[in-house]
Amino acid sequence: MKFTAIGALALTTALTSGAALADGGALTVFDWSGYEDQAFFTAYMEKYGDAPTYTFFGSQEEAFTKLQSGFAADLAHPCSDAVRKWVAADLIHPLDTSKLTNWDAMLPEIKEVDGIQIDGKTYMMPFEWGNTGLIYRTDKIADDKIGLQLLADPAYQGKVSIPDAASSAYALAALATGNADDYTKLSDEQFKEASDYLRAVHPNIRFYWSDAGQMDQAMASGELEMGWAWNQSELNLIWNETPAKMMRDIDKGIATWVCGYVHLKSSTTPVDQIYDHLNALSDATSGKYIIESWGYPHANADAYAISDAALIEQYGFDDPKAFFDGSLFFDAVDPALEAKMLKEFERIKAGF
Amino acid sequence: MVNFKSEASRGIALSGPATLYVGLLVAAPLAILVAYSLWTQTYVSVDRTVTLANYREAFTDPLVRYLMIRSVLIAGAVTLFTVALAYPIAYFIALKARRKTLWLLLITIPFWSSYLLRVFAWKLILGFNGVLNSALLSIGVIDTPLTFLLYNEFAVVLTLAHAWAPFAILPIYVSLQKIDLSLLEAATDLGNSAVQRFLRVTLPLTIPGIIAACLIIFIPTVGDYVTPSLVGGSDGKMIANLIQVQFGAANNWPLGATLSLLAMMSVGFVAIVFVLAASGLGRRIR
Repeated sequence: MKFTAIGALALTTALTSGAALADGGALTVFDWSGYEDQAFFTAYMEKYGDAPTYTFFGSQEEAFTKLQSGFAADLAHPCSDAVRKWVAADLIHPLDTSKLTNWDAMLPEIKEVDGIQIDGKTYMMPFEWGNTGLIYRTDKIADDKIGLQLLADPAYQGKVSIPDAASSAYALAALATGNADDYTKLSDEQFKEASDYLRAVHPNIRFYWSDAGQMDQAMASGELEMGWAWNQSELNLIWNETPAKMMRDIDKGIATWVCGYVHLKSSTTPVDQIYDHLNALSDATSGKYIIESWGYPHANADAYAISDAALIEQYGFDDPKAFFDGSLFFDAVDPALEAKMLKEFERIKAGF
Repeated sequence: MVNFKSEASRGIALSGPATLYVGLLVAAPLAILVAYSLWTQTYVSVDRTVTLANYREAFTDPLVRYLMIRSVLIAGAVTLFTVALAYPIAYFIALKARRKTLWLLLITIPFWSSYLLRVFAWKLILGFNGVLNSALLSIGVIDTPLTFLLYNEFAVVLTLAHAWAPFAILPIYVSLQKIDLSLLEAATDLGNSAVQRFLRVTLPLTIPGIIAACLIIFIPTVGDYVTPSLVGGSDGKMIANLIQVQFGAANNWPLGATLSLLAMMSVGFVAIVFVLAASGLGRRIR
C-alpha cells in the first residue's frame, strides 16, 4: 500500500512538472557527433530548458544498420543521398512543411534536391550543405594548372588522396570524365570511363582517407599536395594557416552535398516538440552561428544577410546559386549502380 | 537440487555453465552466420531463400582470393617475426634473468595502454613528418622524408608484431621454465656444445610453447581489421577490411557472412596444417 502511494505521488509530480515545462531531454536525436552544440537550437533551449538527448553515429551506413535493427529515436541527420534508401526501408515519415516556420526562407534550390523531395513529398528538412572538391596546396600547384586530370598525373605519385567511399570517388570520376550529369545513372560505358579514371589515379594515391583529420594533417605537413575532400578540410587548413584552397571553378568540377533532419517512424515524442526542434535548427540565428563559428553553409537563406560577409567569402559560399546550378549533386545513385560502384571500387583500391 | 553424489550429475553441473556459455556466445552466433551466408541481400531487406550464390560469388572473385592470400601471408610474416624476436627474450627471462617477475611485468607494460593508441604511436613514428623521418632529416641521412615506412604491408607487420609480442613471449617462457635443468647438464656431460644442446634439448622441449605462440598470434591477426585500415594504406588491406565493407557501406550482410566463414575456414586449414607440420618436426628433432 505504502509503495503504491509513493508511486502515485511521484507520478503526479512528474505529470504536473511535465505540464509546466515539457521535458526537453525527452526528444532523442540520432546525429553526427558535434551537432549537439546548443547554439544550433537556441530557440528550443529557451522553450524547453533542456537539450535533446543525442546519440551518435560515425557513418550513414552505420546509422542505417542501427535503425534497421530497431534503434528508436525521434530525429536523425542523414544526407540527401541516403534518404531514398531510408524511405524504401520504411524508416521515416514525410514532413509537414506547414509546420516548418522557416520553410519559406530556405534556399529555394535546396528545397528541390532529390531526397529532400521524393515523389512530391518532403522527407528531409535541409540543415547544412557544402562542397566536396579538389583541395590543393597553393604553394605547390599554380591556380591555372589545377584540374581533376592532375590527380592522375604521374608527377604526383604518392601526393594524392581521395575518400575511401565509393560514391564520393565515383562522383569525382564522373566529373573528371565529363559524365557529371549522369552520375546517378551512369551507363556501362560511362561507368567504365569513370572506373578507368580511378584506376589511373590509384598509383598516385598515398592513402584513401576515411577520417578527414588524417587527410587534413597530411595536407598540412606536405605529405599530400591534392585531395578530394569536404569544405571542412579546407576550413581546417585555412585556420591552420596552410596555403591551401578548394578548386571552386564549377567548370573544372566540384560536387555539392546537403544534409538535414528526418522524422523517424520509431519516434515517440509529441510531434509539436519535434517540429519545435526543427524550427530552432533552421532559424536564421542558428544559421549565423553555424556559418561564423563552424564555417558550414546553412540552408536558411536569411542567415547569410546577418552573418559576417568577409567570412562567408573566405569560406567560399558567397554565391550558393552558382554551386546549386553548376556542380554535381550527391543524389541517391540507382541501387544497382551503387552496388556496382562499391564492388568495383574495392577492386580498384586493391590494384585490380 | 542437483545430487552431487552421482558422478553423472556432478559432471553435468560442472560442464553446464561452460556449455551454456559456449552455446550462447559461440555456437548460436556461428549458426546465425551460417544462416546469413545462405541468404541473399536485396536492396533494403534480406531474401531468406537458401542459395549458394554468395559462395559462388566469393569463389569466382579474384579479389577475395587475393585478399585472403595476402591476409594469410601478412599474418604468417607477423607470426614468424614475432616468435623469432620473442624466443630470445623468453629465453633470457626464463633461464638467465634474476628478477623474472619484474621482467614479465615490464613486458606487459605496453598492454596497459589501448591498442588503438599503440597503432597511432606507430603512425607517429613512421609518418611523413614522424619521429623517424624527423630524426633522419635532422642528422642529415636523408633530405626528403621516406614514404615507404607507412601505408603498406611492412607497416602492418611491424605494428602487429609489436602489439602481439607479449602473447608470444609468455607461452614460450612457460615452456622454457618447465625444462628440467638436469637435462641440460646431462647434454653437456655427454659432450654437446652449447649450440647442439640448444638444438637437441632446449628447442624440441619448447616446441609446444612455440606452437601455442604461433597459433595465438596467427589466428587473430589474419582477421585483424583496425591495423590495416589505419597503417596499411591501399597495399596493406586485408580480408577483414572487405568483410567490414559488406557489413557497412555495401550493406550486404549475407556476403559478409560468407566471407567471414571462408576466412575462418582458411585460418582453420592453415592452423591445422601448421600444427601437424610443427609437431612432426618436433618429433624428428627429438
